[in-house]
Amino acid sequence: MDSLIPFTTSGSLVDCVDRKMLVVLRDGRKLQGVLRSYDQFANLVLEDTVERIYHQDVFAELKRGLFLIRGENVVLLGEIDLDQEDDVPLRQVDWETLEPYHRQDVAAKKHREDIKAQVLFERKGFCKEGGEGDGY
Amino acid sequence: MLIFSVFKTLTDQTVTVELKNDLSITGVLKSVDQFLNIRLDSIKVLDETRHPHMMAVKNCFIRGSVVRYVQLPAEHVDTQLLEDATRREAAAQAKR
Amino acid sequence: MDPSSSGIQEPFDLIRLSLSERVFVKLRGDRELSGILHAYDGHMNLILSDVEETIMIVDEEGQGAVNIAKRKMNMLFVRGDGVILVSPPSRT
Repeated sequence: MDSLIPFTTSGSLVDCVDRKMLVVLRDGRKLQGVLRSYDQFANLVLEDTVERIYHQDVFAELKRGLFLIRGENVVLLGEIDLDQEDDVPLRQVDWETLEPYHRQDVAAKKHREDIKAQVLFERKGFCKEGGEGDGY
Repeated sequence: MLIFSVFKTLTDQTVTVELKNDLSITGVLKSVDQFLNIRLDSIKVLDETRHPHMMAVKNCFIRGSVVRYVQLPAEHVDTQLLEDATRREAAAQAKR
Repeated sequence: MDPSSSGIQEPFDLIRLSLSERVFVKLRGDRELSGILHAYDGHMNLILSDVEETIMIVDEEGQGAVNIAKRKMNMLFVRGDGVILVSPPSRT
């Protein structure tokens, strides 16, 4: 007989506790930390959190500590495979070095998206997807 | 509840979830909840180099509100049953 | 047969008439779909089959010209919060 999987938010998250998780937020930030707690809204407690930024084949990290994340801001929660993590072909650099490039990427992307939204709104009757803070 | 029920019948099938930010993730549907949050195992990300943060991730929980589409295995969807269930649910809504 | 189930009382009744027919769906952002409607709910979540998706691509350089890309998918769930409108396919 198949075991009954509880089809609940809690059921989906229960085996992620005390594991190293990737959290992608709606503002585009990527956080990694140990998931300590969650609730039915997918509010999360993330310990020893590190924020990562990426640019081409390079990344940088910044220690952020203990986070309580409001569930509505979460895009996805990924279970990090600690073995595969070592195989990732990216080089690590200092945060201060990479941050300006990252900021540029983000600004360029926003600029492109704004132009696109404007053209599609005026010419094709489309409206913006998503709401505020959707930088992901 | 209709769509929730459909997803429940598709557990252990391979689906492709496309997020509103154009990220596409293929994986095995392990769980779904009433908000249509999705749990996928053994994921493969389309165009992985554009999403380097996903490289070491094998399973994920995706918040329902960020989903644009889910591509479903057509052979596991009974369209006649779906249409009948939709009509029933629509009738039940109207009676309220 | 309950007569009110065949009358059109509200907008969703119109969509009900399109079940198992091809519909045109306009989505927020930059996409349009054409597919056969098999299910919908009060959130405008949809399940469509035999779908053709049209994606609008804005050319930044060439004075914002709009190109299109098309894609086909067999069976698709569409989340309702992205839907702007659902209608019968345009008659040309």
